[in-house]
Amino acid sequence: MRLTVAIDTDTLPSTESDRLHRLVDEAGFFNLPTSLKSNAPGGDRFQYRVQIEDGERRREVTADESAVPENLQPLLDYLTDWARANQKRKMV
Amino acid sequence: MKTIDTGSQSGSAQFCPIYCIVPPHILKEIAQRGSADQKAWAFRTLSLSEQLRGQRQAIGYIAPVMAVSTGTKRRTIYDARNGSALPGTLVRSEGDPKSKDPAVNEAYDGAGATYDLYSKVYGRNSIDDKGMRINSTVHYGRSYDNAFWNGQQMVYGDGDGKLFNRFTISIDVIGHELTHGVTQYEAGLEYQDQAGALNESMSDVFGSLVKQYKKRQTAKSADWLIGKGLLAPGVKGVALRSMKAPGTAYDDPVLGKDPQPGDMKDYVKTHDDNGGVHINSGIPNRAFYEVAIRLGGNAWQKAGQIWYVTLRDKLRPNSQFKDAAHFTVMAARELYGNGSLEVKAVQQGWAEVGITV
Repeated sequence: MRLTVAIDTDTLPSTESDRLHRLVDEAGFFNLPTSLKSNAPGGDRFQYRVQIEDGERRREVTADESAVPENLQPLLDYLTDWARANQKRKMV
Repeated sequence: MKTIDTGSQSGSAQFCPIYCIVPPHILKEIAQRGSADQKAWAFRTLSLSEQLRGQRQAIGYIAPVMAVSTGTKRRTIYDARNGSALPGTLVRSEGDPKSKDPAVNEAYDGAGATYDLYSKVYGRNSIDDKGMRINSTVHYGRSYDNAFWNGQQMVYGDGDGKLFNRFTISIDVIGHELTHGVTQYEAGLEYQDQAGALNESMSDVFGSLVKQYKKRQTAKSADWLIGKGLLAPGVKGVALRSMKAPGTAYDDPVLGKDPQPGDMKDYVKTHDDNGGVHINSGIPNRAFYEVAIRLGGNAWQKAGQIWYVTLRDKLRPNSQFKDAAHFTVMAARELYGNGSLEVKAVQQGWAEVGITV
């Protein structure tokens, strides 16, 4: 099953936009490897794919759940909450 | 001709060297109908082959007849208290009375039901066939919409309540996760592309058989749904997956439509989901369903036995769908004989999904 969400920070209240920008910065998103793979055994873990455009900067990161670094998790939690609520906006 | 000493033997017992082994389906008859000495000999003869990897299929066939898993359940349930540290706080051990927490009891009972299927039907002693403790953690994460096997234990989320209920609610999901452990210790199917889809399918097969065995359902009366009861009220769907009719389990505005194919002509090529392991598993899932329906009776008996021997003795980490088809036919031949109805049912089941063997 797939949950998706697209968010345009230009359409968000300023506090919410600031919060999302902060999560992206704290994740060090634009310095992350494009692929975070896990070789751990197991099954049925989540996989994430996040695309962010910020001005001229653009990056896509795919991550296995068990390979997500600690500072990226809050951003993923935020986006997952939005996806559950089925918000549909353009991702910045 | 090479011989292997068996140790003590009664006067009437015969010793058959490995290289002139009596065909397994004849040994099966002996194990079922022979005298006590003959039964002991048949089992002992096959026990010797366990020393040789290539002969292991003979043991797989006799084990269900003898059902000699001598282990006992060792279940341990932990509570992650909505955090992510594993295993969490111990809340119920083997033999403890029921908890007030339904998730704890469901994880405990579901692990027990899974252990019982593997033990009583296939003679397997827990996940590793050596009595491994079965550890489960409930209340993992915050509104966590998933359950998984992490290589050492099962982990269950509570669901968010809007899309999913708690993941311990479906006994087949519990059986599914535990079977990932069995696969890890046996075929070691890589979690990518067709091998990964076989890995997922094996978990769905035995997860469904756990439910069917618990309810004593026939193949015909079973619903063949994985995760029935898991979707929250309001979600347009009946389950996570359908083995009988892949692609029909759900069609929801948020979750999308069930993407599973039920035939090789509809195989999905994708980079997502490790090459679609949860998607293309619909093809071998349906093959198993078709075999089980053709064989009739209880699916855990003949069809399940063929699939278990295949998982345990034949599949390799990089096996493809066509390999699984070939191996299941091989297992059926060894168990039931060349040209048997069982072999034909397996061939027909795979043909139904577009794989000729």
